[in-house]
Amino acid sequence: MATEEISETKTSLLGTLREKLAFKATWEKLTWTWKPETKREAGDAIVRNFILHWFPAKVSLESLSWGYSFWLGTISAVLFLILTITGGILMFLYVPSVERAYLSVKDLEFSTSYGWFLRGLHRISAHLMVAVVFLHMVRVFLTGAFKNGRKAVGQNRPLNWIVGVVLLLITLLLSFTGYLLPWDQLAYWAITVGTNIASSAPVFGDPTRFILLGGTTIEQATLIRFYVLHCFLLPLATFALVSYHMWRVRKDGGLACTEKRYEEAKKQEHPAIASKTYSLLGITGGSAVDVQNVMIDDEKDKVPSSPYLTVRLAVVTLATLLISILLTLLVRAPLEEAANPAVTPNPAKAPWYFLWLQELVTITTFTVGGFTINGALIGGIILPGVLVVAAVLWPYFDKSPVSSIGRWFPKERQWQNRIFLIIVAAILVLTFIGTYMRGPFWEIYMPWQEWEQTPRRF
Amino acid sequence: MFSKDAIKLYVLGLSLLGLTAFVFFRENTTDWRDYQAEFRDFVSEKFGPERAEQIPSGVQQIWVKDLDRVDRCVTCHQATEWKGLETAPNPYRTHPKEILEKHPLTAYGCTSCHGGQGFSTTLPDAHGNVEHWDEPVLGQEVSEAYLIKNSKALMEMNCNACHRYDRETKGMDYINTAKNLVEQKDCRACHTINGRGGIIGPDLTFEGEKPTEQFDYGRLTGRHAVFAWQVAHFQNPKMVSPDSIMPNFGFSSQDAQALALLVMSWRKEPIPASYISGVQLRDVPTPEEIAREKEMLEGEGAFFVQNKCFVCHSVSSLGVNSAAKIGPDLSDAVVDVQNRFGRTLDDFLMDPTGTMSVVLATQIPLTTEQRHQAIALLKVAYQRKLEQQIKSASPSPTPAGK
Repeated sequence: MATEEISETKTSLLGTLREKLAFKATWEKLTWTWKPETKREAGDAIVRNFILHWFPAKVSLESLSWGYSFWLGTISAVLFLILTITGGILMFLYVPSVERAYLSVKDLEFSTSYGWFLRGLHRISAHLMVAVVFLHMVRVFLTGAFKNGRKAVGQNRPLNWIVGVVLLLITLLLSFTGYLLPWDQLAYWAITVGTNIASSAPVFGDPTRFILLGGTTIEQATLIRFYVLHCFLLPLATFALVSYHMWRVRKDGGLACTEKRYEEAKKQEHPAIASKTYSLLGITGGSAVDVQNVMIDDEKDKVPSSPYLTVRLAVVTLATLLISILLTLLVRAPLEEAANPAVTPNPAKAPWYFLWLQELVTITTFTVGGFTINGALIGGIILPGVLVVAAVLWPYFDKSPVSSIGRWFPKERQWQNRIFLIIVAAILVLTFIGTYMRGPFWEIYMPWQEWEQTPRRF
Repeated sequence: MFSKDAIKLYVLGLSLLGLTAFVFFRENTTDWRDYQAEFRDFVSEKFGPERAEQIPSGVQQIWVKDLDRVDRCVTCHQATEWKGLETAPNPYRTHPKEILEKHPLTAYGCTSCHGGQGFSTTLPDAHGNVEHWDEPVLGQEVSEAYLIKNSKALMEMNCNACHRYDRETKGMDYINTAKNLVEQKDCRACHTINGRGGIIGPDLTFEGEKPTEQFDYGRLTGRHAVFAWQVAHFQNPKMVSPDSIMPNFGFSSQDAQALALLVMSWRKEPIPASYISGVQLRDVPTPEEIAREKEMLEGEGAFFVQNKCFVCHSVSSLGVNSAAKIGPDLSDAVVDVQNRFGRTLDDFLMDPTGTMSVVLATQIPLTTEQRHQAIALLKVAYQRKLEQQIKSASPSPTPAGK
């Protein structure tokens, strides 16, 4: 199959075109510094290259398929790369001070060359990253990819799942800390709502908020804290954990979908190798110990990472970049009035990915006979806390058979997948309500219903 | 699989190239570039291509550090300080000259008077009639919305930020009218304004600072705006806030607009003292200080001040007061010299010893005639001192501790 593919390349449309144009040699000099001629050389290309060495020399076809993983992890990593590059440039242009932050963002919008583009791309990629990392987690859960199979020694997929959960939380924190930096009304009040939810935790609530804000109000101390977290500590943690996450994928024997092949191969009858065995009692006839090891034919099911994986990686990278840029051009990054602690916007909303929490807080706040139960503790701390703990522990309680690993919607895991999907759907519905249906005074407004006019000075 | 991916890669690569070109195009085809090109053509036609070549290109701005303002209006309004384009169409018109003489662009920028969003380089954002910007250009557009005949009247609100404490300011007819009304109708009977007035109504000193959200627009027809609310309130207070006890003064709509502008101009904006009209940045001496200085310079002891004796010596009986008081008070020099040196004053001053010999030789070279004058004056001083002593011995002593 693989050989066919390679020969197909040679006769591909573009290939023939290039040959016909008769500047093949020049073309190849311009496009490839070195082109592997044999499979062995192709494998070497991966191992020798600093950037590519974290890939295996050969990779199975199902790991490369679009439909299994949707490449969500890769997309997250690409988005992180876009964010690092745009963020690095933005650091030269943004001033993290209460007096200048808002003005420097205005400058980005109006007078810095390509400033609007950098800021827009950074913002869109950040929103996309939150969404994609979440979807990545949904995919891993639904395919049971956090379960250990029998393929590799030293597998610890549950650990990698926990690393993933931590990475999701860090992604949220990265976005949350970045939210404050423009220092406009949207930023100021979103962080106010967010940190007020945090402060409702028992015992640790107020100290946490105090440490996070560097005081009791959102001021210069908060801005510089969020800035350092956003530009230094959290990206560093992300980089370290993503590296470990990737390394673990290799250690765990690749994507979970490859476990399937192992199981299938195992089902096939392997004729026992007849041999003489030395037993305690002397030489007897029979079969040797441990010879029923499953042999997977690598040559048959795998293709060289170069060019199959690298090209697909390039496709994913470019597609992610393309979509981010398109969205940047279509959606204008908002910048509201400068932060004003004296004027609370109505409604004041947390960042969109925390709006399901704000909704939960609303739902769990109710009054019983003149006694009001504050939902911030139940909806804002306990429920999300339970969800995170459940996510961390889930792999250890998932007793479904190994055969269910790496498949979409396996029968054996249908109950846990249903529960999981209900939670996901609830989060999405609450997020939608919070984002599109909450108007002034946190009343429900249908998306087509008009809000009250925003008052102006003139 | 590979060739399909390769085709995808080419398609994506080409699309990205296209998008990059679009981003480049969008960055380099902004409206302000068109305005600048048009202005260059306009000038070239009117004054010749040489003048046109001197016009700067790129984003232009006025940075007023004192007011913390950056105004990029001049990116499009490039003729602001030109001569000869007084009647040209906007944005290529020269700014009226008289007002700029007292309010130079470099010190005031544009938006501190006109309003608008100085950072911006696109028309709708710069003119500020956009979401999330509450300081629109106070010109024709807003004036028309409120049926104000004089399109420059609204701007007076911004002028009054600095001219707040003027009783009357030239060219600010609306605000002047309003300030007059404040006196005529005695608003201070109920309201405190600038720290003065009654407490029946709310303090209006920073009325212009009240956030837009704090007004109740429920009974207002038309646009929900503070200005509209204020005008309606001045015309009929009970109509917009039924609980109000403010009487209806029957203001005409123009008077109500003027008053609305006045109260909205009362803001907290940090303006350096040097910008505020009527504020004296001088250390003004008190009348007592002036009288004392005059006595020292022109009184009987003027000789000792003019010749710098007073740097070290007071001559208190003649009203000369030394700040340093290094040497003894010369009021009783006639006897004091005798006591200290065993010589008469006349003798000593003609041929001094010690410090005085050095001072008179180097710092204060007095002629013989001047020395005689000094001796005569010191004798008068002693005389005065004796007179004062007799006076103070009589029943009205100076209070203790003074």
